[in-house]
Amino acid sequence: MEEVKNNAGLHPENSMGQNPGSSSNLGIAALITAVITFVLAVIPCVGLVAIIPGIIAIILASVGLSQANRNNSPRGVLIAGLIIGIIASMISVSQIFVAGKIAQKADHWPTNIQNIIDEVQDNVTRELEDANVSIKIESNGDKVEINTSSGKKDKEKELEDLEGGTWDRDTLKHDTIQKKN
Amino acid sequence: MILYKRKIKTEQNLKISQRLKPYLIINIIFAGIILLIFAYSGFFSPEKDNYPVTCIHETLTGRPCVSCGLSHSFSLIVRGRIDEAYEWNHYGMRIFLFFAGQLVLRVAFSIFYVKYPDTRKQLVIVDCIGSGIIFLVSFWPFITSIF
Repeated sequence: MEEVKNNAGLHPENSMGQNPGSSSNLGIAALITAVITFVLAVIPCVGLVAIIPGIIAIILASVGLSQANRNNSPRGVLIAGLIIGIIASMISVSQIFVAGKIAQKADHWPTNIQNIIDEVQDNVTRELEDANVSIKIESNGDKVEINTSSGKKDKEKELEDLEGGTWDRDTLKHDTIQKKN
Repeated sequence: MILYKRKIKTEQNLKISQRLKPYLIINIIFAGIILLIFAYSGFFSPEKDNYPVTCIHETLTGRPCVSCGLSHSFSLIVRGRIDEAYEWNHYGMRIFLFFAGQLVLRVAFSIFYVKYPDTRKQLVIVDCIGSGIIFLVSFWPFITSIF
């Protein structure tokens, strides 16, 4: 009768005084820690930190497995926890390479940004060189329409007329932009 | 003979309870963790920007990574500001839906597990494969950023 009570799971202990349920609990803890580690490991922001729960999961699963081997208790959850923990830890460690990759890409960013700014500046200058301005004013039935061109060729001609055949490129550019504004 | 039968029966019950326990416990703990994530998103305000988690990549390299702004995005989704959430992190909604889906699945699978004992093995297999696929689909942009 005593034997039956022990096997009923009330206080089931083996010859070494260990509870077979403890390896099962360790397995659950290991699996949960491993899955959390896995989810954290694939998020780049916190991926590196995931190595800590990863190691905890591996330790829990290993201790649980050694207990399970002694007790002959089920090992499925423990093995799953161990495998997921190891894979998650490996992914977590690989985040170091991601940091390296980002740093490598970041080195090229200032050059790329400068190139984009130069391109935009060139496009704006080119467009302003041939800009045409049309102003229409209506007041008490009177209509006044002013059409002017800030085109480069027209300005060159105008300046040539004013200065007797000579013109200054910087003045022309400045004037063009002022008119547009 | 009676004692022997009882012994076998109690051993069987013990084995069944041992098999029963882990899946339900794991489901309950995962559901709790997901609820904690939602509580974290709701507690910290996107206006105050007082999130305790900082991006390690940004700290190390000075540049943002693919998951930067995820906490902000989650907080905005919880508050129903979806458009702003997309601006903070393009994949925020996808990850949030994964967690929300998992919360529903944990509850649903736990109910099925208790109600239909005959299909437990199949249920666990379907859960593992299904959740794995959903995880891969949701976190694919982050996974590809690693490799």
